[in-house]
Amino acid sequence: MVLARATKLHKTYSLGKTKVNVLRGVNLDVQQGEMLAITGASGCGKSTLLHILGALDKPDQGTVSLGGEDLFAASTWRRDAIRNKDVGFVFQFYHLLPEFNVLENVLMPRLVGTSMTKWFASSRSARAKAAEILDTVGLKDRLKHRPKELSGGERQRVAIARAIMNEPRFLLADEPTGNLDAKMGKGIMECLRGLNRNGQTIVLVTHDPNIANQADRQVRLVDGRIEA
Amino acid sequence: MYKLFLTFRYLISKWVAVFSILSVWLCVAMVLIVFSVMDGFLDNIKQHSRGLLGDIIIDNSTLQGFPYYEEFSAYLKEKMPEEIDVVTPVIYSYGILREPVSSFTKPVRIVAIDFDSYCAVNNFRESLYYDRYYPDTTSLGLVQQPVAGIDMKGNSILPERLEAAHREYLKNRDEDKVDHTDIAEPDYRSPHGVGGFEQHFGLPGYEGNPLPGIIIGTDVVFSRDRNGVYNRNILDRGAEIVLTILPLTSRGTIAENPIPVAMRNIDDSRTKVYEIDKICVYVDFKLFQEYLSMGPLERVDGSFTEPRASQLLVSLKDGKDYNKALPKIEEVWNEFLGTLAGNVTRYEADLLSGVGVDTWETRQQAFIQAVEKEKVLVTILFGIISVVAIVLIGVVFYMIVLQKTRDIGIIKSLGATSVGVAMIFIMYGAIIGVIGGILGILTGTTVVANINEIQSWLAAFNPSLQVWSPEVYTFDRIPSVVKPSVIAAVFLMAVLTSTLGALVPAMKAAWVWPVKTLRYE
Repeated sequence: MVLARATKLHKTYSLGKTKVNVLRGVNLDVQQGEMLAITGASGCGKSTLLHILGALDKPDQGTVSLGGEDLFAASTWRRDAIRNKDVGFVFQFYHLLPEFNVLENVLMPRLVGTSMTKWFASSRSARAKAAEILDTVGLKDRLKHRPKELSGGERQRVAIARAIMNEPRFLLADEPTGNLDAKMGKGIMECLRGLNRNGQTIVLVTHDPNIANQADRQVRLVDGRIEA
Repeated sequence: MYKLFLTFRYLISKWVAVFSILSVWLCVAMVLIVFSVMDGFLDNIKQHSRGLLGDIIIDNSTLQGFPYYEEFSAYLKEKMPEEIDVVTPVIYSYGILREPVSSFTKPVRIVAIDFDSYCAVNNFRESLYYDRYYPDTTSLGLVQQPVAGIDMKGNSILPERLEAAHREYLKNRDEDKVDHTDIAEPDYRSPHGVGGFEQHFGLPGYEGNPLPGIIIGTDVVFSRDRNGVYNRNILDRGAEIVLTILPLTSRGTIAENPIPVAMRNIDDSRTKVYEIDKICVYVDFKLFQEYLSMGPLERVDGSFTEPRASQLLVSLKDGKDYNKALPKIEEVWNEFLGTLAGNVTRYEADLLSGVGVDTWETRQQAFIQAVEKEKVLVTILFGIISVVAIVLIGVVFYMIVLQKTRDIGIIKSLGATSVGVAMIFIMYGAIIGVIGGILGILTGTTVVANINEIQSWLAAFNPSLQVWSPEVYTFDRIPSVVKPSVIAAVFLMAVLTSTLGALVPAMKAAWVWPVKTLRYE
């Protein structure tokens, strides 16, 4: 069953006076429960595609549907809600909030999606859940640490924990091991594979064939199109 | 929920927030202090400048004055019995005051009043010095000089009437009304200025010829020391002084040679409006009407001229609005003129035609407006300084937004809405405004409440820091009024401007597509 479908995606960037056509009619289906790796040379538009799939960026042309709902035909509010509830992101540079501790960073998606009154009713269970996720990614002793007190691998685990806090249908990982050494990268991939085995749909972008080989399926982006 | 969470975390984790709060704090305190002092100054001016006028003033602004004032007073009371309380006539003229012992002379403005009704129309009685400590012993009739004596125990005593008055004062003494410019409160054992007992060992009493009393504007004769206290030793109560006057006819010509009138200094008046206190002396109306040739004078044909007054002061009954009464009184005046038609001489008609009716506020407007304009000017100046504070807050927020651009992208990637992100920074601004505003109001009101003590402290530290010198200003203390409306307005402005300062950066933060801030580390 198709979870997400990208149809004829086009995206152009301006670099000074020159225009770069990053995506030139990308078509892509992501099946429910699969782990899909998007590979390609550096600068070929992998990350752009991933961002558009997660509604972090908008295409110049084309559509993206998630569970049958067109992301870019929806209202801004709806798109924000989809990003909160249905999509989880893991970035190459972790992108944790430095003022908040590990537990608070993981709780952030829940905080964003909950009103003040609901939060007071549900904060205990949310905290318990965040602690449980952090336990599964091996960080149960680091709840009160600030991001700067963690190693790169640990930060990325926090980012993964945050991404799955709201149990999204769709987990997007942009070079999740790109900033880590081989050992730490391996740990992160094990973590992602574990999630995938439990039914989590994952799309990851990587230029590393070893990482890509661990996915169920690979597609390669060449010249702004998916290579057949 | 995340909005509050992020706002508070940013507040406590960013030093720059402390600087924003500090700038709002100082701005609010500064504006409040300046406003309170200016308001106090203005209120004092208004209150005291009204003090010597009635609610309504009727005059023709000439030295000759106008006739038929008695008839009009009666007519006005008859026509508006519900509104009119007291009407009193006043004569203004000019003269030269001379003290025989030291022979100092000064030009003075003579204000001839009917003491009792004048005191009923305004707060003149409250401005009197001796009358405060020896109540009801001041009058403008014929008086002798009171002198102290020594009793059997060796204490100085005053004539019984003054002793009784002082006992009355001590019984009803109101600490709040003690005037700090007076030499420590006079007790009857050291009756400063009341006679000289060393010359009169024995019984107290009165001496000298009975002469008409005169009340002198305090600043006409006396000066203040550094502490703002008047030195009254140079002119005793009851001492003889000479007022030389120049009578005018109704045509405005000089009626006769200057007349020196020997009088006794019965009291001095400090209305706290320097322009009044430095020049005015108060004398009996009837007596000076005659001296100034404004009473009835016999014409060659045996008839008499109409007595004249320079001004009528009207006080209204409690609760009556002088602005509403004004047109009615004008109407009654015109009616009154109608009743006189044909029965007045040409000169009288001229004098009557110039008579106008005003409220005390309009009359003092030039003076009050000057202070009001100063207030506006100061408000504008401080408004500009406040704009600087807004810009500062704007810059601080802009810096925070720049610093937090990546965080904004992260929060948006987690599903935060643009409005939600904007709200974080707007709330941040508002909270800074609220905290800075509260601190500023606490500081401002504390400083204003203790402004005189602070000044004394500063002056003790370094005398050149005494900005409000009682030698210079007619008010002894720095006046200040903290109005709740001003507090509310300043607080609202603080919150509003801080929020406004945060608004532009907040909008910038909110309108970013998350990917733009997340693409690169």
